[in-house]
Amino acid sequence: MIRVENLSKKYNQDEVLHIEHLEIPKGQSFGLVGNNGAGKTTFFSLLLDLIQPTTGHIVSNSIRIDASEDWKPFTAAFIDESFLIGYLTAEEYFYFIGELRGQNKTAVDALLAEFEDFFQDEILQKKKYLRDLSKGNQKKVGIIAALIGQPDVVILDEPFANLDPTTQIRLKKIIKDLDENTETTILISSHDLIHVTEVCERIVVLDKGEPVKDIQTSQATLEELEAYFNK
Amino acid sequence: MRYSQFLSFEWKQFKRSSSFQKGIGIKIVLLLAALYFIAAFTGLGLVAYYLIQKSFPQLDPIVVVNNYLIFWFLLDLTYRFFLQQLPVMNIKPFMVVPVKRSTIIHYLLAKTSWSFFNWLPLFFFIPFAIILLVEAYPLIQVMGWLVAMILFTLSLNYLNFLINKNNTYFYGLVSLIFGFAALRYFNIYDITVLAGEFFNKMYSLWYAFLIPLLLLVLLYRRNYAFVRKSFYLDDAIRKEKKLVKTQEFSFLNRFGKMAPFLKNDLKLILRNARPKQVLFMSFLFLFYGLIFYTQETYSDSPAFLVFASVFITGGFLLSYGQLVPSWDSEYYKLLMSQNIPYRQYLESKWYLMLVAVIISFILATPYIYFGWDIYAMIAAGAIFNIGLNSFITLFGGALNRVPVELNVKAKAFGNTQGFNPTQLLIALPKMLGPMLIFYIPYKLINFNAGLLALALSGLIGLMLKSFFLNKIESIYQKGKYKTIAAFNEKK
Repeated sequence: MIRVENLSKKYNQDEVLHIEHLEIPKGQSFGLVGNNGAGKTTFFSLLLDLIQPTTGHIVSNSIRIDASEDWKPFTAAFIDESFLIGYLTAEEYFYFIGELRGQNKTAVDALLAEFEDFFQDEILQKKKYLRDLSKGNQKKVGIIAALIGQPDVVILDEPFANLDPTTQIRLKKIIKDLDENTETTILISSHDLIHVTEVCERIVVLDKGEPVKDIQTSQATLEELEAYFNK
Repeated sequence: MRYSQFLSFEWKQFKRSSSFQKGIGIKIVLLLAALYFIAAFTGLGLVAYYLIQKSFPQLDPIVVVNNYLIFWFLLDLTYRFFLQQLPVMNIKPFMVVPVKRSTIIHYLLAKTSWSFFNWLPLFFFIPFAIILLVEAYPLIQVMGWLVAMILFTLSLNYLNFLINKNNTYFYGLVSLIFGFAALRYFNIYDITVLAGEFFNKMYSLWYAFLIPLLLLVLLYRRNYAFVRKSFYLDDAIRKEKKLVKTQEFSFLNRFGKMAPFLKNDLKLILRNARPKQVLFMSFLFLFYGLIFYTQETYSDSPAFLVFASVFITGGFLLSYGQLVPSWDSEYYKLLMSQNIPYRQYLESKWYLMLVAVIISFILATPYIYFGWDIYAMIAAGAIFNIGLNSFITLFGGALNRVPVELNVKAKAFGNTQGFNPTQLLIALPKMLGPMLIFYIPYKLINFNAGLLALALSGLIGLMLKSFFLNKIESIYQKGKYKTIAAFNEKK
């Protein structure tokens, strides 16, 4: 699904990301961990063509991301609050994203109904603009919006941060369901090793922009990661 | 915490911002403009006395000046409202460190008094006062008058701060001015006579400067209280009580693929303080013609009437359009990664401008009162706006990478200016172009040929729509990463 070729990103002379080769097969739930400055958000931004690679490129579904816009219809993401439109209500925002992804209101409503308990009655019918919601609630909106229209690739940057414990547990369930029941490729970054080992089939550790570990998740993974980061 | 420390922070913010490089060229142009105005004002200050003496030999020049001062100050305030940059300061980091709030606020307010807009009038008042002394006017009275003028100018500075930040003050003042203008127009009561007497007292009683001093102190304290009150991060703490409705605007669905964007833009305009301000301003542009069409002076120079006509239907296009990608700066990353081709995005903005021009044109129907020539001119101007100005504006937007904070107006610490000098400079060709296109065939052939040329140029532009949009799209595409990075920069 996603192939990374000789990708690097430099700011002036500082190399913040360098990935020789990386392949993410279709349907995989892929976890990215690393300390601050390891290059997680840089990698996701490159995946969304928000920044320009210094060398190399990413191919998604045989489309070169920095050369064509055709990856947009099957890719969805929530990176930070700048993915929300502050002056819309949650419903309006969902319908807007729905329209962009060719989903009518009924389809969007049906999808939202599935996530009713994820919202915990804090999002829908609240008659509030998104800018007036708390950070955690904004995040819930952004995550669910990224699932509208059955995208093939879903990218979530730090989805667990800022969420309350109940919602974290529900989010894990949502991601696992997606992984088991659909062919969606999910890319997640997290600082929380427990969450990420629970939901991801495969985990890549970035350190100073380079992938240093590539693990198929197993019982021993959490321990291995903790040992690595405790060095 | 010293004031000098604030200053050094600000210098760093200025130097390290990404718009710095681009800003430098504009700053040179602004500097030249400033020098020009200084020279013009000084010159005026030096010759005004003798000029008035020649035109009104039976009157004392100082009295004449005082009689008209009210208009001077009104003009001053208007210019300030549109052009003066109000102080912007990120207060959040200072809120929890041990700096007295009063220190920050005094610094902020004091900073505004260093504005060029406060210095400029001095370049008139001081030479004028010197000439008065040369002409053997009593020193103490001239000095009293000069001090009063400086104090009035500073008062305007703080009045401008209030009307910019607070709707109540703004609409209060606007209705006051319109009220007195109407009373004067219908010959019911002429406030300017009273104002003239008032300003003459500033001269005849040397201690009268205590009145503007009091005014200044009062305004400063109002400002202080206003800023002090907003010295909280209300958004983070207070729960928004106002409930809002989900709106559909399904009548826009007929625009097909463009519909979601148009709906969004409509909500953007209706729900955010800053675009609302722009909408209000562009409504005022509709009345621009009243200034030009009623003046005898302009009826002989139709090029200026073209200028007004373009403005009448183009108010929204120019003021909203010049900030086109900036309006979406808060969620630009979303738009760039969502399923949106640039082309569609630009085209929807173009349609929005088209609709705005059409609505303005319909609202401009009463101008038929000034004759069909004028109305035809407005129509030609509207076609030009649709066919060319819209594309020039979208093109200009590609060069504009200043993020806009949508919903900051009532707050005291955001930059709420609807207009700034940079954008004014970019806007100039949009205004001078149509004048030129009209003027050349008008001089060579006749009036109708001028109008025809104007309308034709618009139609040609319209026919080249997809060519223009392609070009603009590729410019936006090229600048995409830079724009994302600039919009990402926190203020």
